[in-house]
Amino acid sequence: MSGEKRVVIVPCSGIGKTYGTVSREAAYEVVEDLRPAATQLVALSQLVLGDEASRAAVAACPAVTLDGCKLACATKMVQESGGAVAQAFAVLDVYRRYKQFKPQGIAELNEGGLKLAHALAEEVAAVVDGLITPNETDGGRHA
Amino acid sequence: MPDLPRKKVGIVACSGEEIAEGTVTRLAALRVLEQLRPGDTVTICLPLFLAGGEGDRAFARFYPTIAVDGCGERCAARATERYSGKPAAEVVVTELAAGCGLAGLHGRRRLNEAGQRAVDLTAGRVAELVDELLERKGWDRRRGSFEAEPPAEAPAAPVAATCSCGAGIPVQKVVIDGRTVTLIGLPLIFEQLREAGKAPSDHLARELLETVRIYNPIPADEDETYAMTLLREYAAFWGGKEPAR
Repeated sequence: MSGEKRVVIVPCSGIGKTYGTVSREAAYEVVEDLRPAATQLVALSQLVLGDEASRAAVAACPAVTLDGCKLACATKMVQESGGAVAQAFAVLDVYRRYKQFKPQGIAELNEGGLKLAHALAEEVAAVVDGLITPNETDGGRHA
Repeated sequence: MPDLPRKKVGIVACSGEEIAEGTVTRLAALRVLEQLRPGDTVTICLPLFLAGGEGDRAFARFYPTIAVDGCGERCAARATERYSGKPAAEVVVTELAAGCGLAGLHGRRRLNEAGQRAVDLTAGRVAELVDELLERKGWDRRRGSFEAEPPAEAPAAPVAATCSCGAGIPVQKVVIDGRTVTLIGLPLIFEQLREAGKAPSDHLARELLETVRIYNPIPADEDETYAMTLLREYAAFWGGKEPAR
């Protein structure tokens, strides 16, 4: 694929909840490890401030949002910024699918939290694959 | 007057996910909230100024707020001022680190040693600012700034500091003279009066008005209308929730 990113990943920026940390860990895993060439991270704080580059990114690319609580700030902010949310993940819903992983910790996730983040990251990566054409994907790194 | 929470400092971190300094703001804020100044501090997620309700947007007017930013873009400070109220103080991690000769800060996902030291530094500075703001009297929640001549203030009520996401400042919409008006803190005021056993009465209408005025602008020529409306709303609240004897 070209150097241009194709899917925007927007995680929760929450401070006080474990699920927020899970959302960020999953987002980092997607953009740094699983699909680095196909994705880019956009910070919520910049969308809140109306940063032009961030707004342009969400306006031009499909977005996958990862929310840590029911307030769904990431999803709402992408929508308010004129973006299209291709898939909105709520970490609590993901946890319901992987109840064997018990997440704990905010500053630092426990093993269950890291495993839940990994499971979420894999789901996000699958969505990314569905949003971009085959010749745009990251070569042999797909599951 | 209801004993509303008077002595707390708000902390809003940029939490910028793209850079290591954003991670520093988040971890530093968490350390202040949980370890250094629990009970004296409260936080809210920056996006809630837009994604939340009017109670969330009242945050920086209700609490003198410290904006903690990772970089010179100052997203937390600027967004707080734009959507809620001017921060009472600001900390910028890049400036703080540079001032202390701290370089080589990396690792938005896992901070390196310099990043961890930046968390120590930032959390320490924020805690100092919390103390300064707590000592300073005369926070005007209607204007969202300190008064020049501070009035006497009641002692603080100890309340555990937690993430305020979803809680915000309680607000209530009332219809006054055909207009829908959102009043900050009204549910808390009603609750405190009820707990004090104060039944609705003409005498209470004045107390209600003056208490609500602390947190909300009330046009000078609408005192009577507001007082009657507040009394009516309180009577409805009282009727639905009269305390057990």
